[in-house]
Amino acid sequence: MLEQLSYKEKDAFLQHLHTAAVLTYLGVLLLLPLIIAHPLYLMGILFAGILAIYVSGAVEESMPFLVMGIWLALAVMVVNPLLVQNGSTVLLYGPDLPLVGRLRITLEAICYGAAMGMRLLCIIIAFALYNAVVHPDKMTGLFSRFAWKSSLVVSLATRMIPATARDLSSAKEVQQMRGVDFSSGSFRERLKKYSWLLEVLLLSSLEGSTATAEAMQARGFGSGRRSCYNRELARPRDYLCCAGSVLALVLAIYARVKGYADFTFYPELGALAGGSGLVWLGVIMLCLLFPLILGWGCRHWPYLRSRI
Amino acid sequence: MIAVLLFWQLPLVYKNWELLASVILLASLVIFFAGFERSAVSSREVGVIAVMAALAAVLRVPFAPLPGVQPTTFLVIIAGYVFGSRSGFMVGAVAALVSNFFLGQGPWTPFQMLFWGLAGASAGLLGQLLPKAGNTAMLSFSIAWGYLFGWLMNLYFVVFFIKPLAWRAVLLAYAASFPMDTLHALGNACFYLLLGPQLIKVLRRFQEKMTYVEG
Repeated sequence: MLEQLSYKEKDAFLQHLHTAAVLTYLGVLLLLPLIIAHPLYLMGILFAGILAIYVSGAVEESMPFLVMGIWLALAVMVVNPLLVQNGSTVLLYGPDLPLVGRLRITLEAICYGAAMGMRLLCIIIAFALYNAVVHPDKMTGLFSRFAWKSSLVVSLATRMIPATARDLSSAKEVQQMRGVDFSSGSFRERLKKYSWLLEVLLLSSLEGSTATAEAMQARGFGSGRRSCYNRELARPRDYLCCAGSVLALVLAIYARVKGYADFTFYPELGALAGGSGLVWLGVIMLCLLFPLILGWGCRHWPYLRSRI
Repeated sequence: MIAVLLFWQLPLVYKNWELLASVILLASLVIFFAGFERSAVSSREVGVIAVMAALAAVLRVPFAPLPGVQPTTFLVIIAGYVFGSRSGFMVGAVAALVSNFFLGQGPWTPFQMLFWGLAGASAGLLGQLLPKAGNTAMLSFSIAWGYLFGWLMNLYFVVFFIKPLAWRAVLLAYAASFPMDTLHALGNACFYLLLGPQLIKVLRRFQEKMTYVEG
């Protein structure tokens, strides 16, 4: 489990974008559902997220996220009407419950719960996409510009995890050879057996940290101003993707402020789509899908790939 | 700044609790990391923080069969207690961040970073205030963080997902998480009883070795 990063190289368009560009795109995918609670918009954002995962070839890795997201969304959908009494269309009066009072299930509260569940799902999908397309090294590389000490700690720790996990399993094997059975015994006994492992691991890791520190010292850690080298290119495709995402965000904020993307849940549900609302949705969706369209174009059209 | 924002747009903030909560969350993370950036850290400190974070991260996994029980909180607390608030925060926050590179980043990452970081930072504070804190003090501190971690998580869950905020929701969330939190607290207590004093001694000795100057 800890031997491999959750990132897998798939040669997808989003994986080869500049880190700042792909983070902007992901940030917009994360912020949009927080800004807008309109069900149609949420559906659109969810669609964009899932499509992005699909074209990045990360469906399999993202499945656990999707399943968990759906369960959480359902839970929010069920719990909200039980807790919230607002709304005028009563579907059901429940019995008097201690502590909670009389149950009053309303259509509006269920719909609000469903929208909130979808919002949660959108956010989880955005994170699943992040895991699939951003390599941790690219992330620490970006942050090392302005927070190099923290980035150094993060990248060192990332490097150490697979090694520490291997140390843990070999320490466990050694104990098993000596006749310690980790799967038997009471809770207390098992905890005790694992604690031995923990101690062994701590001692050997601390030794390792001295070696790391000496290696860093030998390479001139802290001996002067730190230079910074970055191999990442900023290509036109990065600017285009950034522009598309930022435009989507700006349009969404504008639509929200002007009330085009509002949806009232309480006390009565509003109309789902009316007037210019759908046009706004279409334009925002186009901006959100723009990086994916570019990716599709780059794969099927060498001329485009060479130009951007 | 937050206070100004509060007064300036009180109705907006009242309607958008989650916005305020996210601002507080991100601002506190930035403040702690900026503190670490500004401090003068030696290569040995960097090495120790990274190693402790990696260890705390790795040990999240083998205990997964025992729900709620993991030595991460315990390790973060003793690291903070011995090496101070700054290192304690970094161990907690980096452990959360880095383990999720392997287990999967999610909306939970910033919360885990902040709360584990706070556990380490507060343990550092405890170490400063009571350098000779006995086993009872440390034990109750570990148990307290077992509950506190869950409570802080609940607080954020309620703020983000239940609207309008209802006291019943708060009550229900806390009641639902109580068994898990109890297991977490019990786990912390067990790890402290089994290993605490010994590991603190090991870390103290290592710290001496780290700062030892021939003279």
